[in-house]
Amino acid sequence: MSASEKILSLTVNGEPKRLLVKTHWMLSRVLREEIHHTGTKEACGEGACGACTVLMGEKAVLACMTLALEAEGKSVETIEGLMSAKNPHPIQEAWMEEFGAQCGFCSPGMIMSAKALLLRNPDPTLGEVREAMAGNICVCSNYEHIEAAVLSAARKMREDGAQNG
Amino acid sequence: MKPFNYIQANSLVEAGAILAASSNGAIHSGGTDLMGCLRDRIWMDEVDVVVSLSGIAQLKYIRKEGDAIKIGAMTTLTEIATSSLVREGCLMLADAARATASPQLRNVGTLAGNICQENRCWYYRYSYRIGGIIECVRKGGKKCLAVGGDHRYHSIFGAVKKCVAVNPSDTAPALVAAGATIITTNREIPAVEFFTGENGKCSTVLEAGEIVREISVPFGGEGTKSAFKKVALRKSIDFAIVTSAASVLVDDGVVARASICLGGVAVTPHPSSEAAALLIGGPLSDERIAKAADAALAGAKPLKGNRYKVKMARAIIADTLAECS
Ligand SMILES: Cc1cc2nc3c(=O)[nH]c(=O)nc-3n(C[C@H](O)[C@H](O)[C@H](O)COP(=O)(O)OP(=O)(O)OC[C@H]3O[C@@H](n4cnc5c(N)ncnc54)[C@H](O)[C@@H]3O)c2cc1C
Ligand code: SF4
Ligand code: FES
Ligand code: FES
Repeated sequence: MSASEKILSLTVNGEPKRLLVKTHWMLSRVLREEIHHTGTKEACGEGACGACTVLMGEKAVLACMTLALEAEGKSVETIEGLMSAKNPHPIQEAWMEEFGAQCGFCSPGMIMSAKALLLRNPDPTLGEVREAMAGNICVCSNYEHIEAAVLSAARKMREDGAQNG
Repeated sequence: MKPFNYIQANSLVEAGAILAASSNGAIHSGGTDLMGCLRDRIWMDEVDVVVSLSGIAQLKYIRKEGDAIKIGAMTTLTEIATSSLVREGCLMLADAARATASPQLRNVGTLAGNICQENRCWYYRYSYRIGGIIECVRKGGKKCLAVGGDHRYHSIFGAVKKCVAVNPSDTAPALVAAGATIITTNREIPAVEFFTGENGKCSTVLEAGEIVREISVPFGGEGTKSAFKKVALRKSIDFAIVTSAASVLVDDGVVARASICLGGVAVTPHPSSEAAALLIGGPLSDERIAKAADAALAGAKPLKGNRYKVKMARAIIADTLAECS
């Protein structure tokens, strides 16, 4: 191990990981190329589109602007943490029902931004949805459907919470 | 990106020691500006060590001490935008933080990083990956490419050392208008003296190895109202074309105190004491606001391609002042 490599320990979607990383690698590269979770997209690679949004703790952050080593000891959640074909997360269900995806490239990042919002605000207004999703660009300009999907996901999650609680 | 060593400091003393021992170390707070600079390799000297402050939990706080709001250097823009203390005592700073970049960038971007960020001139930032680094005057070269090139977003108040790149920070004008103080590992600097174009690549007066520790913002008392406005191409993610921050104290229908600062229009944030002085002693009427806005732009020297910014700045100062009534 040289000065340009270090051991990174973090949790990805609940699983502890320990790996050797170059000190200048970004979190997006480690997630995609080392851990092989390719759901997280990298489009602009300069912080300006939100395609690489993941949760670090409960906050939405950009994996393309985060040095991998900044995630040391942290818990990272990606779209793979929500995914399971047989048992989709309510946000993913809402995305399908409300046509939240056209080409779908922005969806993983959008859904992670939506999850961060709904974790801290289970009943957002349309204005709050717009502000929380304002760091995610959809090149297909599917914004109206995306807004509807987030609001519908919020309803679903509140209902699920009421049932389980 | 060129490889570099990466160290998480446990204290400011340790961070200072690592920087002192490095040949060209860089401080990493949220990293949202630094990583772009490193990835595009825009600097002439290579960075050998990145010292991260993100493990120093003691630098993350917002608290009231006497008549000041004390903000730790590592406090994020999201924390500032949503702080009830900042909203109550300096709304223009909370709103400036809220208007910065995007939610994801505000979640990690810090106030210290925001005021220490590099300029966004597109020649200066030209990526190594798309054609090689541009060595303009700001980087020690001979020429400024913007003056003869596309300068639609550049300074309308002239050059500093031949450079017309504007300071891009959204919180800077709010801090200057508030009369804030920047506290570093060595000294206390009034916000109005903190920004410069004289110091080469750096947009502040900070010396090598000097670290911002705290930002102290006067708590606007009873009767003080402040506001912040930003014009950008899109409402989110984009840097400002022009920003404006203003704070006004009206006592018995008469303006007793006023301060105004524009952002995005000059190499440093651009306060106007002449404009503020015109407001004092009378009501905050539309007519007097218009006179103050004219005065704030009176010294403008736009370039050929950015005259529109004068009108834009004038309009947004007037809007900002009207919101303080
Ligand atoms: C797509 C995009 C859009 C953006 N939009 C905006 C915008 O609209 N408005 C705006 O103002 N900014 C914007 N930014 C710039 C940036 O994200 C923010 O300014 C952010 O607040 C920087 O904070 P940081 O903690 O991430 O800084 P860092 O990247 O960690 O640091 C920035 C610079 O300051 C130095 N530094 C950091 N901390 C200290 C310290 N404590 N003492 C001394 N020096 C220090 C670093 O060495 C570095 O050179 C944008 C960035 C991106 C990528
Ligand atoms: S405006 Fe400044 S940063 Fe931009 S090209 Fe000219 S000298 Fe360089
Ligand atoms: S890929 Fe990270 S913001 Fe665009
Ligand atoms: S659905 Fe295509 S980018 Fe959003």
